Order: sequence, then C-alpha cells, then structure tokens
Amino acid sequence: MENLIANFNYVIVVILMMIGLWAMLAQKNLIKKCIGMAIFQTGIILFFISIGAKRLAKVPILSGDGVPVVDKIANPLTQILMLTAIVVGVATLGMGLALAQKIFRQHASFDEDDILKNQRK
Amino acid sequence: MTEQLPIVIILGPLLAATVAAFAAWIHPKASHPLVVTGLVASFAAALKLVFVVAEKGAQKYWLGGWGAKPEHGVVGIQITVDHLNTLLLAAVSGIALLTALYAKRLVNTELPGRQRYFYALFALLITGLLGIGITGDIFNLYVFMEIAALSSYALIAYGKGRAYMAAFNYLIMGTMGACLYLLGVGFVFIKTGTLNIDNISAALPALGQGQALFVGFVLILLGAWAKMAFFPFHGWLPNAYTHAPTASAVVLAPLATKVAVYTMLRVMVTVYSIDYILHSPGIQSVVLGLSSIAIVVGSFFSLTQTNLKMIACYVVLSEIGYMVGGAWLANEPGLTGAVYHVVADAAMTSALFMAVGCIVYRLGQAQLDDLRGVFFKMPVTMAAFVVTMAALIGVPPTCGFFSKWYLIQGAAQSGVWHFVAALLLSSLVKAIILFRIVEIGYNRVPHPSVDGNPAIPRNEAPLSMLIPTVAMALGLIALGLATSPLVNTIIAKALPATLAP
Repeated sequence: MENLIANFNYVIVVILMMIGLWAMLAQKNLIKKCIGMAIFQTGIILFFISIGAKRLAKVPILSGDGVPVVDKIANPLTQILMLTAIVVGVATLGMGLALAQKIFRQHASFDEDDILKNQRK
Repeated sequence: MTEQLPIVIILGPLLAATVAAFAAWIHPKASHPLVVTGLVASFAAALKLVFVVAEKGAQKYWLGGWGAKPEHGVVGIQITVDHLNTLLLAAVSGIALLTALYAKRLVNTELPGRQRYFYALFALLITGLLGIGITGDIFNLYVFMEIAALSSYALIAYGKGRAYMAAFNYLIMGTMGACLYLLGVGFVFIKTGTLNIDNISAALPALGQGQALFVGFVLILLGAWAKMAFFPFHGWLPNAYTHAPTASAVVLAPLATKVAVYTMLRVMVTVYSIDYILHSPGIQSVVLGLSSIAIVVGSFFSLTQTNLKMIACYVVLSEIGYMVGGAWLANEPGLTGAVYHVVADAAMTSALFMAVGCIVYRLGQAQLDDLRGVFFKMPVTMAAFVVTMAALIGVPPTCGFFSKWYLIQGAAQSGVWHFVAALLLSSLVKAIILFRIVEIGYNRVPHPSVDGNPAIPRNEAPLSMLIPTVAMALGLIALGLATSPLVNTIIAKALPATLAP
C-alpha cells in the first residue's frame, strides 16, 4: 500500500490507460473512441515523464565548469521523446476526427451501429 | 561513397514526398515523376547495399556523426543495414518503384481530380516503411511506424464511401498497436537506459529474466501484432484493403504487414535474443498455436468470399501466420524460412494485388461471377495471376516453394505438427481458389475456338500496368531460383548463434 502511495503517478497512468482502452474498444460513438485514444496516449506520456523525473532535480543545463551530478538533474531524454509522441498524438487525433467528420457527413450519425446498418442497405 | 548509401535509402522517398507535395500544389501532374525519381535513388542504394553487406558485413551510419567517435558512444540515432534487413529494404524499395509505375494509370481513372496529393502520400508511406526497416533505434522505429501508419490511413480513406469507416477502424487498431509498442519501449528504457538496439542487446544478457523486461517484450510484440493483423487483431485488414482504392491496396497489402513482421523479427533476434525467448516458457507454444489458427482462419475465410480483392486480403492474413509461426519455431530452418518468406511474401502479394488490380481496371468489378471468360479477355494478366497463385501454393521453382519448404522442415524438426498441418491446409485452400477461378474464367463460357461459338474480344490491361505485373510474376521465379545464394550468403548470417534445437 505504501508502495502504491509513493508511486501514485504510476497508478494514475494505469487508470488513464484503462479508461482510454475501454473507450477505444467498447464505446460505439466515434468521437468517444477518439477521446479514448487521446486519453490512452496521455497515459503513456505521463508514464514516460514519470520515469525521467526525480525529486528536487534541476533542469539538465550545463553551467560553468565541472561535471554535472547525474542524481541532481532530471533525465532530459524522456521529455524529448514525449515531445515527439505529442506531435504524433496530435496528428493521429486530427486524422481520426477528420475521418469521423467525413463519416458523419455520409451517415448523419456518429454511432457505429447506425453506420453499419446504413452501409448494409 | 559507400558509407553514405544507407541514408540515401530513406532520403530518396522523404525528399520526393516533400517536393512532390509542393509540386502538386503548382501542377497536379508534376508529382509522379518526382516520386519515381526518389524511389529509383532509394532502390539503387538498397540494391548496392545488398552486395556490400554480403561482402563486408553490416553497414552502420550515425546521423550527424553522433556516435561515430569512440568518446561519444552511440548517443544519436543510428541506422543499420545488416544481413537481417538488407533484403527487406531492397524488396520494399523495388516493389514500391514498380508499384509507383503501375499505379499511374489506375490513379488517373480511379481518383479523377483527386490524384493531386496521392503520390506525396505514397512516397511518405514508403519513407515510413523503409525507416522502420533501416533504423537502429527503437524509439525512432516508433516514429517511422506512425509516419507509415498516418499516410496509410489517408491512402485508404481516398477510397470514399465505406473506406472512411474502414480507415477509422484501422486508425483505432493501429494507434492502439503503436501505443502498446511505445509502452514496451518505455519498459526496456527503464531497465537499460538506452534506446539504441546494439546497446540494448549488449546490456540485456546481464539483466537476466526480470519482470519489467518480460512485460516490455510482450507489449512490443502485441504492438507489432496489431500492426501486422496477426490473428486476434486481424479484424481491420480485409475491410481496409478492400475498400481502399486499388492503387493504395497494391502498395499497402504487400509492404505494410511485412514490415511489421520484420519489426517482430528484429525485436526477437537482435533486441532481445532467441536465448531469451527459449527461457520464457509457455509463450512459445501459445504463439505457435495462434499462428496455426491465423493460417486456418485466413484460409477458411478466403474460401467463403466471392470478391477477388477480399480473397486476396484473406490470403495475406494466412501468410502472416506463416511468418510469425516460422519465427517462433526459433530453430534454424524455421527462422531462415521466416526471414526469407518476408521477402518472398512481399513479392507474391504484390504480384497478386497487381494482377487483381489489372482485372478490376478492365472489368470494373471483382466478383467471382464477373470473371467469366477472363482468360480469353486478358490472357497475359491471367498468366501472371496463375504464376502468382502457383507461388502462393508452393509450386517449385517459385520462391513460395522454398520458403514453405524451410518452414515445414523447421516445424517437423521441432515436432510442431499442427503448424505443418496448417501450412499444408493453406496450400490446399489456395489450390482450390486457383481452380475455382480457372473454372469460372476458362470453362464457363463457350470456347471461342470451336466453330459457331462467339469470339471473345481481347481486352488486355494497359501496358503501363501489364509490364510491372508480368515483371513481378517473373520476379517470383527469379527469386525462387536465387534462393540458395541468398540464403547462404545473407540470411544464414542474420541468424543468431543460439537457436532452438
């Protein structure tokens, strides 16, 4: 239990990813699926940021002379990776919403069942 | 000069994509020649590298020179061409080039007025696929995976109508796969502190069989499986590739899934190791079971379909089972078969979709009943089609025979008899499909050479489509004849030292 409280950010990561996954797979509404996708990606971003973070750590900028003390600076790599992942996430979300809009224009509905029924006609 | 070749492979299509997008803005017809030029550069570099790798071994390239010097270590992004991926790169860039030439006529008729950005997306897709194949950095691989995926969603959505929903489902599945992969990369990063594939594989043996590493491995595998439409995740593929415009399906079906299989092979062979897999009990027999199910399910559904494109899609699904199963046998013939089949299957499905594309171009539809007399209308296309189906069935001397031979040998060596049975069943099913099409296309019309029967006018596909199709079908035979030098000089050296018995 103490372990869970000390690492509460990972608990939130798992909760976010479960919500996202459930929305992507179980929801019938296309927009809700897109929202689920965004939540899932946010969970992963939080996960990566958590593994690079340290308590009371400084920004990793070399100043003056001397070798940086690795324990005292945050890992910059995970943050840079997540910048890329955010860009990818925005692009996928945009693509998903654009497709949902096209589908809505065709079937006047976001509901997966309605759309499938419409397509069978 | 040789040391700059690896980067040319991805720079060719990447620059072509950017320039083509702007050129299309000015003039709609300007982008096709630009994309073809980029792909020619890429294919020439990839082909040259096959010989360089066979002669001198793996070629490494550090972007911006980061990591080239010993005091840096590898801190930047590394791209690698070694024995495992060199054939794949040549196959992907070669097939992309042929498809770009093939697709021109098809795009003009299928997407009139909307072809403007098609080739830019096409080149971007190829950049992503080649990037996945060439990169030596597991996070960089994720980025290329998403470049390829985003452009393929757009290429599928070009189909309009049902294609939108198919592309949306693919987007949800593909994003889930990529996210699971990224999560797995996170686990590997926690344990090793690096993203470079060479560094990880050097660090992993000392870390043993920790739980975090195992979870990372499984997440990466699940991600790759969702991308390649392996059995439980296969739902998106048939609809996406059937409702996509034929020009998109011709490039997506052979390449996108094969590159995902390569991702799995790279993670199994280089990042983790076969040794690691053999020490994780249980998972191997589960995956082998799933592969057999994938083959049987794909084969069964390909028999129930009446649409030629749908049949081709389910054939692709069953072929995925071959490669995953072969890789997870983890013995020498099994892995050789899997690595070889990635290249062979890319060529075979490419030839299959090209032939189907020619038929659709002339007949307008691809229902089996529409094929009556097609052997008299399009004899050359159908000859290429029969050669392709023969390769998929596994008739010597085509490449399909040799890969299947290795796979069956591997399965028999490990005593995985359900996999042998599934492979043979799938050959049988493909033979039934071929005979069915021959029966409808050849026998169900009064034979025109008999007096009194109406003549059937020849209506062959245009030459710009026919030549790539025939070239690809002949390539299947050439690839089959070249099997033994390819396996001995390249694929045999891609296999790790420790293998399953």
